[in-house]
Amino acid sequence: MKRRSFIKKVLNGTIAGSLYLVWPMGGEGIQIPEQIPGIMGKEYDILNQEFAFIVDVTRCIGCGSCCVADKREYNVPDGNYRTWVERYVKGFSDKIYVDSPNGGLDGYQHPRKDIDEKIRDTFFVPKLCNMCKEAPCVQVCPVGATFKSPDGFILVDEKRCVGCAYCLQACPYSARFLHPDKKVAQKCTWCYQRVRKGLLPACVQVCPTKARKFGSMKDETSEVYKILKGPGVLTVLKKEMGTFPALYYKGARREVI
Amino acid sequence: MDLSYRKRLFILLLSICLLAGGGLLFKKLLVPKSFGVYGPYRADAIAEAALVPVRHGTNNSCFKCHPYEAKIHKKGLHQTISCESCHGTYADHVAEGKKIGTLPVKKEKEITTLCLKCHNTEIKARSEEVIKTVAMPNHLKDQKVKLTHNCNQCHHVHAPLKYIIRAKQITGLMEAGS
Repeated sequence: MKRRSFIKKVLNGTIAGSLYLVWPMGGEGIQIPEQIPGIMGKEYDILNQEFAFIVDVTRCIGCGSCCVADKREYNVPDGNYRTWVERYVKGFSDKIYVDSPNGGLDGYQHPRKDIDEKIRDTFFVPKLCNMCKEAPCVQVCPVGATFKSPDGFILVDEKRCVGCAYCLQACPYSARFLHPDKKVAQKCTWCYQRVRKGLLPACVQVCPTKARKFGSMKDETSEVYKILKGPGVLTVLKKEMGTFPALYYKGARREVI
Repeated sequence: MDLSYRKRLFILLLSICLLAGGGLLFKKLLVPKSFGVYGPYRADAIAEAALVPVRHGTNNSCFKCHPYEAKIHKKGLHQTISCESCHGTYADHVAEGKKIGTLPVKKEKEITTLCLKCHNTEIKARSEEVIKTVAMPNHLKDQKVKLTHNCNQCHHVHAPLKYIIRAKQITGLMEAGS
């Protein structure tokens, strides 16, 4: 081998090798190692993907990091929430008190003072889009702006949306809002643009206690696959609605709706 | 008007053709491109959704330029906390490999407020297995320090037990290395 061709080959190898380690993200210049295996640097087969999201209620400490990250990632207008954290308080009379001051953005700094009875149980429940397999919001959209993509994400086509807000009423989980300036429906997308780049959703990434878990169901080594395959009890919200969410809750009490 | 059978037939067929053609043309003009590839929606919207700019990096993106903080953060109990949770978004700090803005660093009372966002024992929903919580100002009284102390005067914010362990080693309360 000639010296010139040898150097060329070595250089090519080094460049190709470093491309496998980091993946340049858009024009942003952020270089991040991949977090969901099997997506980065590969052709994305949209017809052969399945993802699941698991929220572990027993691990949530109500710090609000997820809400803050979500607001920052999308510049969500004040008063609207793509994801939020609710505080459930159950008294000994079985009465349920639920609140979510500012969607949990400021965290939970103080206990509730307006409850007179003795408290039996209290816990935090993070909420976000359930990514239903039979989504009521998709069914009601009159212009085909809300749809379920072949890889299982419910997305909003902002160019088509006319802002009629039917989907806001249809969503059993109140996960949608009307953007006050753009006048289009918006919602949690499980950070679709991040997932397509092999990154975890922003809320999952910042969660300090790993209460939020996300992964591919096609990858048998992923944490969510193992949890869903395992014997642990997982529930979905409003099962009786027949929406078949891809968002599962671990340790959620019966009272959670 | 007296038209022959053939002419009538011709006019009928022509109008049907014009109507059908006009209908098809309108359909072509009004139905957006890529509509119906996967279903009754614009398939291009999926690609557009994938193009939304990513604003959060990971801790590793921060550690690349902040090796000193990285060394402490990776060893401490706070290693699972994202840098961006307290300091702000990566995209507000770096763009195309260059620094574009300064991210805020929390100071004094802000730090205490930030700590108590997670570590306040008054919030009973926090499992002991997941997080260690303290009651304020009881914790300051128990540790016999001034009530005006901020958390970071004893606890390193990135590795909360860094100074505590070191102090115990120096005073002999804890064997070195344990």
